[in-house]
Amino acid sequence: MTPIVSGLLVGVLFGFALQRGRFCMNSAFRDIILGRDFTLFKALAVAILVSMIGFSIMAMTGIITLAPKPFMWGANIVGGLLFGVGMVLAGGCASGITYRTGEGMMGAVTAVLGFGIAGMMTATGILNPLLKSLQNTKVMTADDKPLTLANIAGLDLKIVMLVVAVIIIVIWALLAMRNKSAAPSYGTKAKSLGEAVFKKGWNWFPTGIVVGLIGMLAFPLSAAAGRNYPLGITGGWINIFQSLIKWQTLVEDKLKVTALNWEGAEVIGIVLGALVAAWIAGEFAIRAPEPKILLQTLVGGLLMGFGAVVSGGCNIGHILSGVPQLSIGSIVGGFSIVAGGWTMAYFMFIRPMNA
Amino acid sequence: MTEATLTPTKTIDERGKICPYPDVDTMTTLKKMNKGEILEVLIDYPLSVERIPRSAEKNGHKVLSVKQVDGPVHSILIEVLGNK
Repeated sequence: MTPIVSGLLVGVLFGFALQRGRFCMNSAFRDIILGRDFTLFKALAVAILVSMIGFSIMAMTGIITLAPKPFMWGANIVGGLLFGVGMVLAGGCASGITYRTGEGMMGAVTAVLGFGIAGMMTATGILNPLLKSLQNTKVMTADDKPLTLANIAGLDLKIVMLVVAVIIIVIWALLAMRNKSAAPSYGTKAKSLGEAVFKKGWNWFPTGIVVGLIGMLAFPLSAAAGRNYPLGITGGWINIFQSLIKWQTLVEDKLKVTALNWEGAEVIGIVLGALVAAWIAGEFAIRAPEPKILLQTLVGGLLMGFGAVVSGGCNIGHILSGVPQLSIGSIVGGFSIVAGGWTMAYFMFIRPMNA
Repeated sequence: MTEATLTPTKTIDERGKICPYPDVDTMTTLKKMNKGEILEVLIDYPLSVERIPRSAEKNGHKVLSVKQVDGPVHSILIEVLGNK
């Protein structure tokens, strides 16, 4: 399978699941403090646990080689905070604005434009010196490996991942047994499996399982294409924009890779998968918020692009793909995204609502 | 109460809005309404079509119906019960 085909395949599946499960980390984190709603957070937790167990087993059986991101405290914290602030302004995380582009939401499209432009400006453009100085805070192990929760204690990463996942599942199961939630009184149940999959929004549990499984599928396929990492978004958008703008230069330089790489194809696939999912469910429509909000999502996207590239990952690269590998950089980056998001959500929504 | 007799006291148009403005607008409007009144929310954002009924019930209101009107556009009817 060529990198483009394999990236597209994973992307289409991912986009389909994101749209059906309404899987967005901006909402997952913000809903905890705005309305005490844990639905999407639970979907995210399931996805991380499935990936953690899956990556661990695939690493033990030699299907993949784990690739935790390095810890760069200055970059992880500053980039994560700015990304978190940006995603609240943009009305979605990196995966959220990507799948909503496929739903026809123009607010997400302007956010994506800002995300890609600022990402390129930071990766190879005028903002690169800032990235260099912030990433100069890298801390590695004595034998120059990225720090993980396992190697700081001198333990084997694959085993620690499995143990951590099992402990979390046991605690969660015990908590869940104590407070059972009732079924809602409104709405109708799906009459067939087809309707449940294609017409209705997915419940948090199947959403989490499917997203986790797609992460497991992504890892070996992406590695086979020369990119040893599971799902990502930021690098994909940058690759798409750079391919469009610098195609001729990239081809003339006879780079080993084609101009469009696996991650770029994956991101195109996400938009297509979400479009198909939304279309089948009758949820596709080209629509736009008022001009002021379009500007707000553009600014949010710009902050997200800068933040994600500086931090070395967005909410997908760090939280969905990096946290299961127990990378300290991804954990710090992830917490910084949540901290930035909560701060911004407090000032934008919670304080005005209670005023 | 049959559905044919339901006339909303107030309707808010949340079409085209981004996350989470529809939710915030609904909750602030519900807070200002009186017990027994009915709020209609017109909305086309799939995540909030599912989340607004959830949070309305959590705040003690009654969700009367969630209906697809046209494409992604839904009409959510909520009876204000949670307010004093």
